Amino acid sequence: MDIMAPEKIKPPVNLSVLILFGLILLSLQLMSSAMQESSELSAMYSWLLLFNTLGSVVLLVLVGANIYALLQHTKRREAGSRLTARMMSLFVVLALAPAIIVFYFSMQFLHQGIDSWFNVEIDRAMEDALELSQASLDQRMRGQLRQTEQLIDQLEGFSENAATIEIEHLRELSGASEMTLFSKQGRIIASSSNNPADILPSLPEEHIWLQLRQNGFFMALAPVHEHELMVRVIVTVKSLESQYLQALYPVPVRIADLADSVEFASARYQEMSYLRNSLRMSFSLALSLVLLMSLLAAIWVAFISIRNITAPVKELVKGTKAVASGHYDQILPVMAQDDLGFLVESFNDMTNRIAQARDETRKVGVEVENQRAYLETILGNLTAGVISFDETFKIRTANQAAYRIFRVHVNQFVGKTLLELVETYVELVEPLKSIQHLLENADDIWQQRIAFLGPNGRQELLCRGTPLFSQEGFRVGSVVVFDDVTDLIQAQKNAAWGEVARRLAHEIKNPLTPIQLSAERLQLKLANKLDSSDGAILQRSILTIVQQVEAMKEMVDDFSEYAKPSKKQSLNVNISHLIQEVLALYTLREGVRFKARYQSGLQIVNGDPVSIRQVIHNLIKNSLEAVGLEGLIEINVHRVLKNNTDFIEIALYDNGAGIKEDQVEKIFEPYVTTKVKGTGLGLAIVKKIIEDHGGAIWVDNGRKVGAGFIIQLPACNSELS
Amino acid sequence: MPLLRSRKRFCQLLLMIILGILSFLVSGAEFSAEIKQGDIAKRSDEYFLSVNIDYHLSEKAKTALQNGVPLYWNLLVKVKKSPDFFWDKTWLKVAKRYQLQYHALLNMYRVKNEDNGEVHSFSSLSSALELMSVIIDLPLINKALLDPEHQYLCLIKLDFKRDDLPLPLRPFAYIDPQWYLSSEWTSWPLKK
Repeated sequence: MDIMAPEKIKPPVNLSVLILFGLILLSLQLMSSAMQESSELSAMYSWLLLFNTLGSVVLLVLVGANIYALLQHTKRREAGSRLTARMMSLFVVLALAPAIIVFYFSMQFLHQGIDSWFNVEIDRAMEDALELSQASLDQRMRGQLRQTEQLIDQLEGFSENAATIEIEHLRELSGASEMTLFSKQGRIIASSSNNPADILPSLPEEHIWLQLRQNGFFMALAPVHEHELMVRVIVTVKSLESQYLQALYPVPVRIADLADSVEFASARYQEMSYLRNSLRMSFSLALSLVLLMSLLAAIWVAFISIRNITAPVKELVKGTKAVASGHYDQILPVMAQDDLGFLVESFNDMTNRIAQARDETRKVGVEVENQRAYLETILGNLTAGVISFDETFKIRTANQAAYRIFRVHVNQFVGKTLLELVETYVELVEPLKSIQHLLENADDIWQQRIAFLGPNGRQELLCRGTPLFSQEGFRVGSVVVFDDVTDLIQAQKNAAWGEVARRLAHEIKNPLTPIQLSAERLQLKLANKLDSSDGAILQRSILTIVQQVEAMKEMVDDFSEYAKPSKKQSLNVNISHLIQEVLALYTLREGVRFKARYQSGLQIVNGDPVSIRQVIHNLIKNSLEAVGLEGLIEINVHRVLKNNTDFIEIALYDNGAGIKEDQVEKIFEPYVTTKVKGTGLGLAIVKKIIEDHGGAIWVDNGRKVGAGFIIQLPACNSELS
Repeated sequence: MPLLRSRKRFCQLLLMIILGILSFLVSGAEFSAEIKQGDIAKRSDEYFLSVNIDYHLSEKAKTALQNGVPLYWNLLVKVKKSPDFFWDKTWLKVAKRYQLQYHALLNMYRVKNEDNGEVHSFSSLSSALELMSVIIDLPLINKALLDPEHQYLCLIKLDFKRDDLPLPLRPFAYIDPQWYLSSEWTSWPLKK
């Protein structure tokens, strides 16, 4: 975000708002002026009222929209919304309370003021004045009616021509402004007027004629011009033919003015009295509108102003949230050079420094991480397995080689002890328990060779452990490094036995042939020279020498065989087929029964078929020698699952003499035999071949009759599938 | 979306208010004047209008009149082409302007023709209204002003001037149907 350039201190409201306020005030002032009847603006009163009402509605909508938006922001807990809501509430309460009080009392004064214009006395006086005027004028009219009726007598007996002259006289006599004689049909017989310009007399209207014919007379006041009154009197002249005399009497100007004045005041008062409620409502409406517009405008402007004031606070809250969530690059715009602006600048300085510190920490972290990755790479590529433990012997780290050796993802057991690992991987119970025991008891560097039947067959581990101590001398954990030395040990053994065999062949077997040849030569040379008894002795001795030499040769050959590597090739061997082939060689032997059971399916192992065949041969030969002339030899072949690994198990039992208990432990060691004849290497070779194939062989102790051997070889799983 | 929904609701409310006001104003036709028996005569290239108008004063109008409030009507006359387009010229004029007022002193209703200042007084309201009802030979327009190729219509309306009522009455006169005393526009074809 860019840093905005510092600006001048701005007022909380801008020019457009001030113009709006001015317009509102002008509009309200115009409406106020228009309320004066005499004002030229009164014609625009309705429009101004409508305009102001619409203005109020617009402001109401604006305020409503602002309130709605504020409520939404508050609901969403947006930055600064609660502060804005609090400030707005405070403003509205502070603005509304006095405004409502002023409004209430203004309304009271207004209503009381309007009511004070009217009271019963004035009302009564006005009515009385009007009635008095009417009575006075009525009396005047009646007098003039009587006067006109008296004039009728003077007209009786006059012809129409004479009446024309007489009527002039009568008008002057009576003081009427105009006098006209009409026939019954309304024809003008004679007329006289004090205004020579009047050619035509004032003619009665239709309703006057109607009333005249009904009542015989007519009398009424009628306005002549704007402020002049005239009394119209028409009476019937009873002569031979009914005629009507109309006399128009002007009402004196003073009386007319007075009557007009009374009527004007009375009418005005009556109109005002009639409009009292409308007036009250009209003023109330105007006052309410003024208050409403002012308040709404103030609230709206307050919204804008408070929004401007809280904008830096909002930015600060947003910035703080961003910093809290780890975005230290947040730079806030400095909107004003006031206290909030200073706060924003300080915030920017703070985030800048935090960002710098964060960058440095990150840099160091990256370096540490690189170092760690480097170490991990080294550990991962080590051929030796490395497992580190904390002070409670729980696994902390383990490298890839640990998986290669144990076939277990030790990494997945971080935080657990080796004993917990054993619960899942039972086949590793032996080495893991040993390691755990050594870890717990060793106070110094230790080294141990551990052999076990693992998932890869028989394995031999060389373990070295080191307890770890802190600088203060407290034990903080330990490290175990272990190597699978199975192949190495085997190679060493093979090499050692090979060397021994070579030396034996060289040192022992080589002199045997000259010994045998020399003995045979002695027999050849001396047989004929010695007597029969000496010859017999010589022959027996020579035979003994030759037999022993043969025996020694055989022993050296066996030994040489034992020393040679047994797994010369690696092929898939079907154990069942192989055993059947071997057994076929012995089935012709009488007295001995063979009983073989094979589990259905393939029993394939990966190994050297010649070596495995030799194992079977050796064991069958041993059993045959044990059972003698008669006996039973049983062979069972089946697949077993041990330590999560498939094995082909070959169990071979006989019902011979069996093996003594004290010999069971060392039966597989070289030169251990229960037979009179034999080198004592047969079972040692068998064990060596089996172990070379990753298997195991042991004596079945549970058997009560005869001897039993159990061989387990790792099954070839690819063939199983 | 809640904002849109609330806007829609607000628009619906506004529409209902406008419709309510319109129906309220339309219901005021009960007291409106009626133009009856119109006739247009042509004499020496000048058109003259004779028309009869029926006034229906509401109680409020009568009460106001009785209390001295003067009532004003304008007789509006419009001549325009038939059919017309908005760019066609329309002749509009205030043909007559009447003032009706009650005089308590004389107990009379006075009708004043504002055009020529003539004043007529009547003892009854019906007589006063009768005077204002009959319009005879009101000059309309000279034939020379009209295009002979087109048909023309003469439209007449009696317009009650609510703006000439006393100021406190005006706001209420606009929303009270009892003060809708004007007539609708009534048209007659101008014969060639």
